[in-house]
Amino acid sequence: MIVARDAVARVVEVVPHPLPYFTLVLEVPDVYAEVTAGQFVMLETTGGLEPYLRRAFSVADVSKRGDVVVIELLAKVVGRGTRAMAELGRGTRRALLGPLGRGFDLPEAGPVALVAGGVGSAPLLLASRRLAARGVRFDFFYGGRSAADLPRRDDFARAAQAAGGRLVVATEDGSEGFRGRVTEALAAELDAGRAYRATYSCGPMPMLAALARLSAERGMPGEAALETEMGCGFGACLGCAVPHVSGRFALCCQDGPVFRLDEVRW
Amino acid sequence: MSAPALAVRLGALELPNPILTASGTFGYGLEFAHLSDLGRLGGIVTKGLSLEPLAGNPPPRVAETRGGMLNSIGLQNIGIERFLAEVLPRLERFPARVLVNLFGYEFDDYARLAERVDPYPGIAAVELNVSCPNVRKGGIEFGHDPEVLARLVASVRRATAKPIAVKLSPNSGAPVALAEAAREGGADILSAINTVLGMSIDPWTRRPRLRTNRGGLSGPAIRPIAVRIVFDVARQVGLPVIGIGGIETVDDVVEFLLAGASAVQVGTALFRDPRAAERLVDGLAARLGELGVASVGELVGAVRPWESPK
Ligand SMILES: Cc1cc2nc3c(=O)[nH]c(=O)nc-3n(C[C@H](O)[C@H](O)[C@H](O)COP(=O)(O)OP(=O)(O)OC[C@H]3O[C@@H](n4cnc5c(N)ncnc54)[C@H](O)[C@@H]3O)c2cc1C
Ligand SMILES: Cc1cc2nc3c(=O)[nH]c(=O)nc-3n(C[C@H](O)[C@H](O)[C@H](O)COP(=O)(O)O)c2cc1C
Ligand code: FES
Repeated sequence: MIVARDAVARVVEVVPHPLPYFTLVLEVPDVYAEVTAGQFVMLETTGGLEPYLRRAFSVADVSKRGDVVVIELLAKVVGRGTRAMAELGRGTRRALLGPLGRGFDLPEAGPVALVAGGVGSAPLLLASRRLAARGVRFDFFYGGRSAADLPRRDDFARAAQAAGGRLVVATEDGSEGFRGRVTEALAAELDAGRAYRATYSCGPMPMLAALARLSAERGMPGEAALETEMGCGFGACLGCAVPHVSGRFALCCQDGPVFRLDEVRW
Repeated sequence: MSAPALAVRLGALELPNPILTASGTFGYGLEFAHLSDLGRLGGIVTKGLSLEPLAGNPPPRVAETRGGMLNSIGLQNIGIERFLAEVLPRLERFPARVLVNLFGYEFDDYARLAERVDPYPGIAAVELNVSCPNVRKGGIEFGHDPEVLARLVASVRRATAKPIAVKLSPNSGAPVALAEAAREGGADILSAINTVLGMSIDPWTRRPRLRTNRGGLSGPAIRPIAVRIVFDVARQVGLPVIGIGGIETVDDVVEFLLAGASAVQVGTALFRDPRAAERLVDGLAARLGELGVASVGELVGAVRPWESPK
């Protein structure tokens, strides 16, 4: 695994999907080429006093542009830090710590299901790329409140199709695809006879908890990338506690952010 | 002029420079080994250690507020035995001065911890976190009762020959009285301050942002409170002081030195920039040159306070 380093990243561009969703493209050190899907970065958002702390974002994609390595962060504006990010101008420099944490342990053989809730899809874009590169078949389950909450849905559809799978959309308001929660859409597919070796997921805690229940009922293992409040991102503040089945608290930033579904006390 | 002298001396504790890292913000040191040059720091203070490992509080444990953050980590730590057996030997490979931060829930815990670390030459000093609820005294913090605090420090004094720093809480009304009690008990150094008790509420969910409702505020927001306490304590108590609270820039360091601190600890700023403390070592050397002073000591307590108006 790569040792995290603190570097200065340069903003290449901000792509709205439209807002509040956007992709921030950053020029980064070469080590990011080896990033594991599910790993994250701590990004300085303003350089000023507010927000004071850096913000955590999953690495959503990595590629080469010319001979520089760039990463993409897929994010949603929810507060001051993310608003500042969405307004970053080309060429702006920001401190970037990473890659951090333990990513997904992706399989060599499919079929598997990727399950995303809203902007929780971010780490699963890189997971899709890695699975496609290995020729592992996967279906991508993408849930959101409405059709507007499925940023970059076409990228996910293409990635799944390239690996012989498909995109399954679920919206709570029924504006697109299955009406209901994404875990219900997954359960419906299982009931219809589809089988997956495992799930890889990211999204709001209630969604992941529902997936953990489904996973236990159906005997289908899985891993989920979790989000918690984070002070530092590298094990120094102990602020990112995740209740663990051992009875202790695991650290989201070091032991995670990816955990097995049966490791977490939901 | 030759390069300004950064070395400082706090009683028996000699440090290569006055920039340390604050307890609970630097892990056990090793978390930073790949991000910062530990050997360049004046010293590192470990996460608070107790006799037994502690699991800590349920989440959420941290919440950012304007110019700072609230935390209620709940003193999660690996316990003194694992620290001594597993962490200290690895830490000793770096040329960094290690101060251990100790806390207990029972009066005797403190002396037992000090006794345990006393034989280890790799530990330069102990720092006592006395802002913990005393289980025998209905949860009143040890650091809030001058009489208990003096006896507590005296018990630690008997248990170790290492320099003892007592960390003052800003949440008691009378830091000077407590600092004097610590001195009476035999403390060598005062560390000031620990976090300021605070609270933050989410307007939409109506929930406090921390699972424990209240928590400790740190970061730039608390700096003036810390400077005031350092100023009062340094003038009135006569022990060397380590200033702590919202330190981020070289100006902040100089401010604490002027107020009377002989050294400082950098805390929350390390989350924002893991090299914050190391950068301050360089920055301070440059600033002393600009100020035309030959050593850190020349700035300590050199504030020119106004006289009371007639
Ligand atoms: C390991 C990890 C990976 C992450 N990856 C991504 C990612 O790829 N894309 C992305 O958009 N976000 C991601 N997040 C969440 C992201 O860190 C937060 O959205 C961000 O910190 C919010 O900062 P802010 O300053 O804009 O909001 P703040 O001003 O800090 O908060 C504004 C409001 O948003 C709420 N809020 C804070 N965090 C979240 C959250 N996670 N979800 C919803 N509301 C929140 C706060 O409670 C508050 O009410 C990740 C978090 C972690 C821990
Ligand atoms: C996340 C966190 C954990 C802390 N843990 C401890 C601790 O275990 N023991 C202690 O004495 N102080 C602890 N502190 C207090 C700091 O050492 C310091 O006194 C305080 O944060 C003020 O400095 P700052 O504003 O530079 O952070 C902690 C602070 C933070 C932010
Ligand atoms: S975020 Fe600080 S320890 Fe995990």
